[in-house]
Amino acid sequence: MLRSTCRRVNVAFAVREELSDKRLLVVTGKGGVGKTTLSAALAVQSAREGLRTLVCEVNTKERISQLLGKPEVGPDVTALDENLWAVDVRPQEAMREYALMLLKFESIYNAVFENRVVRYFLRFIPSLQELVLLGKILFHLKEKRSDGRWRFDRIIIDAPATGHAVTFFSVPQVILDTVPPGAMSDDATWMRDLLVDPKTTAVVLVSLPEDMPVNETIELHATLKNKVKMHPKLVVLNGFIPERFEASELSGLSPALHEVGQAHQARAALSAASLAKLKTLGVEVLTVPRLFTPEFGRAAVDQIAQRLGSAR
Amino acid sequence: MSSSPIRDALANSDVLVTVGSGGVGKTTLAAAIALRAAMEGQGSLVCTIDPARRLANSLGLEALGNAETEISQQTFAKAGLAPKASMRAMMLDMKRTWDELIEKRAPPDKREKILNNRFYQSLSSALAGSQEYVAMEKLWELRTQRDYPLIVLDTPPTAHALDFLDAPNRILDFMDNDASKWLLTPALAAGKFGLKLFNLGGSYVAKTIARFTGTETLQQLADFMLNISGMNEGFKERAHQTRALLEAETTSFVLVTGPMPERLDEAVYFHTLLQQNKMRVAAIAVNRVHAPVPDALWEEVARLPSSLQKKFEDTLKENDHLARQDARGIAKLREACAATPMVIIPRFELDVHDLSGLYETSRWLWGEQRLEVATAGR
Repeated sequence: MLRSTCRRVNVAFAVREELSDKRLLVVTGKGGVGKTTLSAALAVQSAREGLRTLVCEVNTKERISQLLGKPEVGPDVTALDENLWAVDVRPQEAMREYALMLLKFESIYNAVFENRVVRYFLRFIPSLQELVLLGKILFHLKEKRSDGRWRFDRIIIDAPATGHAVTFFSVPQVILDTVPPGAMSDDATWMRDLLVDPKTTAVVLVSLPEDMPVNETIELHATLKNKVKMHPKLVVLNGFIPERFEASELSGLSPALHEVGQAHQARAALSAASLAKLKTLGVEVLTVPRLFTPEFGRAAVDQIAQRLGSAR
Repeated sequence: MSSSPIRDALANSDVLVTVGSGGVGKTTLAAAIALRAAMEGQGSLVCTIDPARRLANSLGLEALGNAETEISQQTFAKAGLAPKASMRAMMLDMKRTWDELIEKRAPPDKREKILNNRFYQSLSSALAGSQEYVAMEKLWELRTQRDYPLIVLDTPPTAHALDFLDAPNRILDFMDNDASKWLLTPALAAGKFGLKLFNLGGSYVAKTIARFTGTETLQQLADFMLNISGMNEGFKERAHQTRALLEAETTSFVLVTGPMPERLDEAVYFHTLLQQNKMRVAAIAVNRVHAPVPDALWEEVARLPSSLQKKFEDTLKENDHLARQDARGIAKLREACAATPMVIIPRFELDVHDLSGLYETSRWLWGEQRLEVATAGR
């Protein structure tokens, strides 16, 4: 059971009710909205709740290990903390693992796949690279320990930004539409089934309280839900600025100070309007206040993790 | 007049490419540059290849398509602007551009076969990376077949923007490499399609790959490559030309970044890469920079009644924190990219999403407005 390792129920945790029974969390949103930070925070909170958690970055410059104050993890699954593992999934290593899994023998892999000509060739099989990246992540979701329990209770994917996320998660379906039956299409089938299974997988959309990110979140929600058939369960509105001033407090000030107050009011109003707009999606929206910490690191991640864990 | 590296670059450029990571305001700055050029009499087209519909948003247009859409005089007039030349905008429709490419370039008897091939269909609509190639094709087409005094090209975020620079080379690789020859030669020699995976069906290597992909996959891919093989020379030719276009004297790049420390490594990396590739970086545009808090404000806050004092102190502290953090980032960037001019654009209270906002943004890009950066340090 997924929550068998959790302690009593009355403890104020459970990475938001919407996500608490999901084994795969996909975090995505517009570039620069804080996907990586949120993925790290979700992972920290999930691990704290006693779930064996793996957080995956996908073919990018690794940032999570650094955010958590740990050395780089690279392409091998590496323990970061109690119950917390991380990996930066990269195409070449993933391809190798995938091929080895199919071929069983390293010598064959080396003879065939390390061949320059073959490597060129593989690059042009549509979406094979994305398939092996996704395949590695989802393989870890199916992995079991010797006692039959999951190797990882939960996997969190720090997914690519909007347009590329749609491409990335559509890959299994694209392969099914493109590639005739064979090993590749068999793999694409189980991957697609896991991604669209509402019992297993939930999408977390990250947004910022500004017009364009909010609009993009709404579009992305529709595309993921209607076209990719995945299930957005939570919107995180990052950088939320709560109201501080009342209109009456801003009279009788110097123009410069008045402007400072008004700017704050405008930002708070934009935050409130963004929240209202996102709520129309019919998905739970969680606000994370704008943080003013000197360096964005472990402390900030912990603060957000706490917010994710607090009971509603 | 104050100096402006971007304005100066436009005087000698007919293509300007904005590059940078996601979420830094690249599309907005691309649109602002195109708009300003039109205002000053340099007719412009801004073309975005971003999958999300951001540019339409920035320009207050409902939807953009592959068509170049002129922004009407009324729209400008509503924003209180009177451009001296026209401005057009478009968003690249990947699938349609690919189809047009095939219809235009493929031999008549191969067109249908290619358009119906499943590999082609995924290549043109979903294959990650193919949009970069198509963007290059489109840029080349626009440059050679239209006469815009200025084309501003927006690009996808970093990881893919690298692919973008690499796209012409990659297609050359594809056309030129041993693998395709190795696959194609026997079939070409056999002189017809649909043969049983050429002569490699029985080979050890082919059998092993087939375990990986399925035999039919190899067959279909081979068919596809055969069908497009007639287009090799054309692809090669244009790939060379687009590469030359990117390196041309009349092409400039503007590297867009935010001031946040966590984004800077990417910006520096990108800067290095552009220079290694002989691309001319006209300026680094640091977007959404927080202005420093003037001393006079602290003094005024100190005199406020205590209830209000606390609220304003908190606000100023936050603003000060952001301004110093940005200043540290900018100092780091200046050090790492010393030879390239830098343009600072402040953070606006509201998203820039209309023409007047774009024009206001351009005044900072043109150096008519300048932001004093806070003193770095803690």
